[in-house]
Amino acid sequence: MVQGEESSWRMASAHDHERAAVHLNQAALPYHGGVQAHASAALPASFLDFQPAAAAAAYFGELEEALIHGAANAGGVGHHPGSMITSDMHSAKSAGYLAARPPTLEIFPSWPMRHQQQLHSGNSQQSVGSTTDSSSARNTMAQMELVSPGPASSIRPSPPSSSEQQPQQQRQEVMMVTTDDYSYKPAFAPPPATLAAAPSFQQQLQLPLHGGDHDKRKHGLARKDGKLVDSKTERRLAQNREAAKKSRLRKKAYVQNLETSRVRLQQMEQELQRARSQGTFLGGCSGSGDLSSGAAVFDMEYARWLDDDGKRLAELRGALQAHLVDGNLGLIVEECMRHYDELFGLKEELARSDVFHLLTGSWATPAERCFFWIGGFRPSDILKILIQQLDPLTEQQLMGIYGLKQSSEQAEEALAQGLQQLHQSLADTVAAGTLNEGAAVPNYMGLMAIALDKLASLEGFYQQADNLRKQTLHQMRRILTTRQAARCFLSIGEYYRRLRALSNLWASRPRENFIGTDSLSPTGTELQGLHHQPQQNQFSGF
Amino acid sequence: MQYAAEQAWYMPMGPAAAASSMESAVARVDVSSCCMCHAVKRLFCGMGVHPTVHELDLDPRGRELERALARLVAGFGAFGSAAPVVPVVFIGGRLVGAMDRVMAAHINGSLVPLLKDAGALWL
Repeated sequence: MVQGEESSWRMASAHDHERAAVHLNQAALPYHGGVQAHASAALPASFLDFQPAAAAAAYFGELEEALIHGAANAGGVGHHPGSMITSDMHSAKSAGYLAARPPTLEIFPSWPMRHQQQLHSGNSQQSVGSTTDSSSARNTMAQMELVSPGPASSIRPSPPSSSEQQPQQQRQEVMMVTTDDYSYKPAFAPPPATLAAAPSFQQQLQLPLHGGDHDKRKHGLARKDGKLVDSKTERRLAQNREAAKKSRLRKKAYVQNLETSRVRLQQMEQELQRARSQGTFLGGCSGSGDLSSGAAVFDMEYARWLDDDGKRLAELRGALQAHLVDGNLGLIVEECMRHYDELFGLKEELARSDVFHLLTGSWATPAERCFFWIGGFRPSDILKILIQQLDPLTEQQLMGIYGLKQSSEQAEEALAQGLQQLHQSLADTVAAGTLNEGAAVPNYMGLMAIALDKLASLEGFYQQADNLRKQTLHQMRRILTTRQAARCFLSIGEYYRRLRALSNLWASRPRENFIGTDSLSPTGTELQGLHHQPQQNQFSGF
Repeated sequence: MQYAAEQAWYMPMGPAAAASSMESAVARVDVSSCCMCHAVKRLFCGMGVHPTVHELDLDPRGRELERALARLVAGFGAFGSAAPVVPVVFIGGRLVGAMDRVMAAHINGSLVPLLKDAGALWL
């Protein structure tokens, strides 16, 4: 709508040019004495002055007047009050308007370049215009004020113009032009082509306000009266225009923003699709966007580790069935041990930056997560399973395994107790003071700092738990023979593979077979309960 | 055992600390508010061992003790730089190490013989 307005305004102004030309020809006015000597189409602004009805046109003209007089009248003090007021308003408006849209003058398409240059480069030219107006003594005064770079006078014309040009250049131009004007002044009638249009044009624009002729002044007054009212509307119009332009720019920026984020979203979705299809997220990762960079890297590495794990299991199975020599089997077992160490290494690395990703277990499948103990398997659980699997054990080995089980249980208990104390202490810290006041408690930041420290010690607990798991595996390897160790690793690998398969089955189970498919959540929890109980019963025997 | 071979003879930092660790069979250095120290305490209690406790935050020379301990423990490859120094365990005047070392020793099965040797544990 705004654009439509603007274009219609432009068109209106174009029409106004023509109409104004006609009007001007009809009006026997002293304005056009100089005007008609020159290209009439070159001076649309003056024509536009004649169209107060067309608000846009009038505004256009007022703009020109403002630009011209804003500079000129600044120096010229003591004009009759009406012009002072209007000139003030104009200068203020022009100052504001120029500040908002400095290159306004350049957008006038119908004006020949020389005019634009003159108008643009001269508020200095406007001072030229004011100087060439010989009819008003005040203008000469203004000119002289402008010539001498008196601080007060030269300051006032410069603000509207210096906002768009270099002040020095303008001053120079003032100097240059004024000297020129002095030469022009006596030869007022035949001004040279380049400067002629400007001064005379400006002269015409100024004449209404400066009021050389009576009827000019009268007309100017009348116009001024009309314009006094109009200037308010014009100012409003100017503000409206500015606001409209601002909102348009904002809208454009917003749309661009939306576009770029849409493109980015598409790219990310494509990447995710590709990654999923490559199977790098083996059902363990929920694919949420919350992962920190370290966690994302860990997830990918873990997926690769799982692939490796599958290969190792197949290798172990093949080796055991083939009844390999102990030496070769030993190599394979060593590789398995290194494989687990690799995983521990990955976890240790991530724990330094993002321990919560490991603790919450989002990298593991749901079934695995059921048995989580401080971010991984509970060593004594694994030992319980293994004892069942490794039946032909020697006395010494049994002693060793049971001893290992006992010490790991003690260590687990100690860590669990320490962790419990940490929980308690953290809860106490966070709940310190009155919770009712929200964050307005006086020592809130201190409280938070202490809580942060306590939270940081969680990392220590995770490291110790992982260390316990690693030590347990190593010790177990030491106790067992090569063949037994191979079977042991195979058992552990297969156990976890089954848990992961269980998670996959769980994720893809059909949900429509239950009563009340509308409300899935209650049936979901029921189902979970059903599923969990058999699992618990299966393993509680250990 | 593997771990025993890694044991090194270290004289602890100050004479007072040395004396105390020499006197008692088991000495434990901790900070009263540290939860890992609590875990070590529970571990020893579970085994029936009652070590002498030196609390760094209550000791006037706590800071230098802590720094000296850090240097000692760092030689044993403790976990990262962010891990706190305490708890540190001495058995029979010898440095066992920080929590990870203590756990490893326990899983290894080397902790109990050490304790028995130091006379802190009777079976």
